[in-house]
Amino acid sequence: MIKKILIVDDSRAARIGLRSWLLKDREYEIREAGNGKEALEQFNEFKPDLTFLDLTMPVMDGFEALEKIKQINPNAIVLVLTADIQKRTIERVSGLGAFKVLKKPPVKDVIHEALSEVRKYLEEDNLK
Amino acid sequence: MDNNTSSFTDLEIDTFQELMNIVFGNAAADLSEVIDIYVVLSVPQLKMIKAAELPEFIQNNIKEDIVYNTIIEQNFLGNFNGFALVVFPRDNESKFITLFRENKDMFYECDATGELEKEILMEVGNILIGACVGKMAELLNDSVIYEPPRIIVEDIQDSGVYQKLHDPKNWALVLKSTFHFEAQDLTCFLFLVTNNESIGWLKKALNDYLRQFE
Repeated sequence: MIKKILIVDDSRAARIGLRSWLLKDREYEIREAGNGKEALEQFNEFKPDLTFLDLTMPVMDGFEALEKIKQINPNAIVLVLTADIQKRTIERVSGLGAFKVLKKPPVKDVIHEALSEVRKYLEEDNLK
Repeated sequence: MDNNTSSFTDLEIDTFQELMNIVFGNAAADLSEVIDIYVVLSVPQLKMIKAAELPEFIQNNIKEDIVYNTIIEQNFLGNFNGFALVVFPRDNESKFITLFRENKDMFYECDATGELEKEILMEVGNILIGACVGKMAELLNDSVIYEPPRIIVEDIQDSGVYQKLHDPKNWALVLKSTFHFEAQDLTCFLFLVTNNESIGWLKKALNDYLRQFE
């Protein structure tokens, strides 16, 4: 069950857009962070069920944030939403434990499809 | 941002910066395909200035006399109309050429006249301009037509670019991005010079883009 979502992106426009789409889908409790450092603070305090994470950010980038999030909670579900679509970037974040890598700009259907995958994964995980 | 960007709201500027982030991501992916190396992206910096102030801006920010930098110029036509300049600061220009030579077999056969080196810089400039302008137009539901790029290595004052910059109706969108390659950091600047009408179109297009999330 996804109840709490953390959106991490240095772009306010990107955060507004994603938040708006998510809330059209269903009721979530959503928090936002503007860089990796803020993301870690929010992650510790808010304990989200799902995190959307951008990679190219000031202060602390998404690679470092993902690594640290996984150290805090190895089971954390992180959807990387990035403009950096190089093969090696995708391999790198997958290696760091990202659940899935989504390409920017976000596409509504792709976001909802990813949410369905996360829900399915969580349901299967609960049955174990 | 400068005061002269006051016609853009903070959210419009942020949206444009986010689009540029997407655009540079695409450009990096294209570049990494061409030269088979990994590009570490940085957050692109965006600034809008009067086009007439561009030579001084370039001189102050690139720390080299504009005359000595290699510049690729390419016109683009569409609702977003103008010309793009990619400026390679002197040191970085040779680094780009070295990278291409190391990664592209075809360039081992290069001649000693420097013509092929110009071709390499034209190719990098062309990739960046195409990825940037083309992707931006696509994201904003427009399309552009390009004229062939040209390289300016001689005195820019003789090139005709200065006359175009001095049109008081023209604006320059300054996009600075450093491409961090694994072995070294290379910096180049991309300038999009456009007019008031295109800025008006851009403002509307940014708001249309934001509306898709409503």
